[in-house]
Amino acid sequence: MHYTFDIERGNFTDAGQASSSVKRTLKHLGVAPANIKRTVVALFEAEINAIAHAYGGTIDVDIDDQKIVMVVADKGPGIPNLDLAMQEGWSTASAEVREMGYGAGMGLPNIKKNTDDLKIESTVGVGTTVTMTVFFA
Amino acid sequence: MAAQETFFGHSLKVDKSRCLGCTTCMRSCPTGAIRIRGGKAVVYDNKCVDCGNCMKVCPHKAIYIQQDDFALIHNYEYRVCLVPTTFIGQFEEKFRTREIYACLKKLGFTHIYEVEHEVEYVVELYKKYIAKHPEIRTFISPYCPAVIRLIQVRFPSLVDNIIRVRAPFELAAHIMTNRLMDEGASRESIGVFYVTPCAAKIAAVKYPVSNKETMITGVINMDFLFNKVQLMLRESKKDAEAINHSLTSRDILWPLPGGEASLFRGSHYAVDGLQNVLNFLERLEDETVDARGLVEMRICDQGCVGGVLATNNRFVARKRLEDRARLLDQPDRPLNRYTRYNNPEFCKWIDEQMEIDEITPHSIYKLDDNFAEAIKMAERMKKIEKALPGVNCSACGAPSCAALAEDIVRGDADISSCMFINRHSQASEDAIRNIWGDRIKTRTINQDKSE
Ligand SMILES: Nc1ncnc2c1ncn2[C@@H]1O[C@H](COP(=O)(O)OP(=O)(O)OP(=O)(O)O)[C@@H](O)[C@H]1O
Ligand code: SF4
Ligand code: SF4
Ligand SMILES: [Mg+2]
Repeated sequence: MHYTFDIERGNFTDAGQASSSVKRTLKHLGVAPANIKRTVVALFEAEINAIAHAYGGTIDVDIDDQKIVMVVADKGPGIPNLDLAMQEGWSTASAEVREMGYGAGMGLPNIKKNTDDLKIESTVGVGTTVTMTVFFA
Repeated sequence: MAAQETFFGHSLKVDKSRCLGCTTCMRSCPTGAIRIRGGKAVVYDNKCVDCGNCMKVCPHKAIYIQQDDFALIHNYEYRVCLVPTTFIGQFEEKFRTREIYACLKKLGFTHIYEVEHEVEYVVELYKKYIAKHPEIRTFISPYCPAVIRLIQVRFPSLVDNIIRVRAPFELAAHIMTNRLMDEGASRESIGVFYVTPCAAKIAAVKYPVSNKETMITGVINMDFLFNKVQLMLRESKKDAEAINHSLTSRDILWPLPGGEASLFRGSHYAVDGLQNVLNFLERLEDETVDARGLVEMRICDQGCVGGVLATNNRFVARKRLEDRARLLDQPDRPLNRYTRYNNPEFCKWIDEQMEIDEITPHSIYKLDDNFAEAIKMAERMKKIEKALPGVNCSACGAPSCAALAEDIVRGDADISSCMFINRHSQASEDAIRNIWGDRIKTRTINQDKSE
């Protein structure tokens, strides 16, 4: 099954709607709690990144009996140095974002930890697409 | 709903002669356990967690809690009344505890025992459990039975975070039974009756999560007993009978928010009130809060003084308990602890009796055991949800449009129950447009099915 969500730039208030909706569906499907948790944590982090560091975007979710694939695509500044971005504690979060309680530089490492497959395509000045896969078995 | 194994039993009942099907309870239930059928509220056993919310909000007093026949106590030679301090909190401070207990004796009990005598030991059991499980970070208190069930049905991923220790009333029942047997009473001659502030505790006694033997013989609703005692206290000053009162100030405060935490002392959180509990569990599940240590949780606002069977206002009862604790001014336990606590063999046995062997998840969400089938149902559900107006009017007998969509795919309802769909006459279409504007498109079932 397939879903799409829109992410609005700078809208921290609505952040988490995609991940809670996905969570509800996975509960309906009877997916193991540990896998639901991994999925929700990863999706939430990617959603927040698109809100905090880019100018919003879209989330596409595909679920079949083996796995869930989540594609978070944003229009934004892109990530110039991916290796650096993947490091724990590395963050360029603005003062505003830090005020919201984000910016510890733990998002991407957390996504890596919680997914079975992670692909990040980023072009500076164009945007970033994060593709995350969690297998259910 | 298809025939299903029943996991949970309940003492909460709907009085069909009073229920008007007004939907108030249905819309306030945290697990979506209620539907309107035949014009009356119907509770689905496997979804209800006995939180008592429906009873609190019912404007027609149509929901009640079944209780054991009080005359039952006279089947026993030794009749123990297990009172939680919440009960004492119902009375004005001018009545002394021992006067209240004297009334209970006049009503037919031979022994009065306060549940909170054993809370310190229960907290010791929490600590032992925590020490044995270094792999767990967040430990949820097992004290409120409604919280345990809520986790089983709505937050199944958290069942392993619940401390697997039975409730203090169970320990109190064991200790009191043993005390009497030490004095020569036979097991059959002892009846132990627990005075409950809520429906959850009754369910915990009658349909326990643990399959160990209970030593509670029966449960008495607190409001029933309060009315009886209150009347006796008013009628005449009772000849106060001395009873060995050995609670500490902290024991008295146990039913209030922070009661467990104050005995535990280590890193802890205290959450009370249905909405707060739901939010906190949600956050624990999503790992957006990192709670290390003990999480005390009570479904009722202000803890057990907010229980549905507690007669008096919870803030008043809270103050009364706080005043009584201050007056008692007894921080440490006096010496008359049950002597066999000094016997390691006995303690080993008691510790085993107090273990909950297993807490199983019973998700209310899962659509089908077969994943492919569940996906099909979820997809259909999404489609139906989109076709429904989204105003959550409850006229279909379900608490929300999403709930109706779920009922439909589960085969428990039909799309034609939606009042906004299947309007054939121009007049009804006009009426809906008057109320909702163009936001809602009226349509007939046929149109809808071809979508
Ligand atoms: N979608 C994105 N667009 C542009 N830059 C991004 C994006 N996602 C991450 N980054 C960059 O990578 C850095 C690290 O991201 P990460 O999610 O690990 O930490 P953070 O968002 O700064 O803080 P935290 O996630 O702990 O709140 C960010 O500070 C930002 O510079
Ligand atoms: S007791 Fe609570 S869970 Fe059960 S039907 Fe009432 S509101 Fe719902
Ligand atoms: S908070 Fe206390 S009174 Fe309320 S349901 Fe839980 S155990 Fe019962
Ligand atoms: Mg981040």
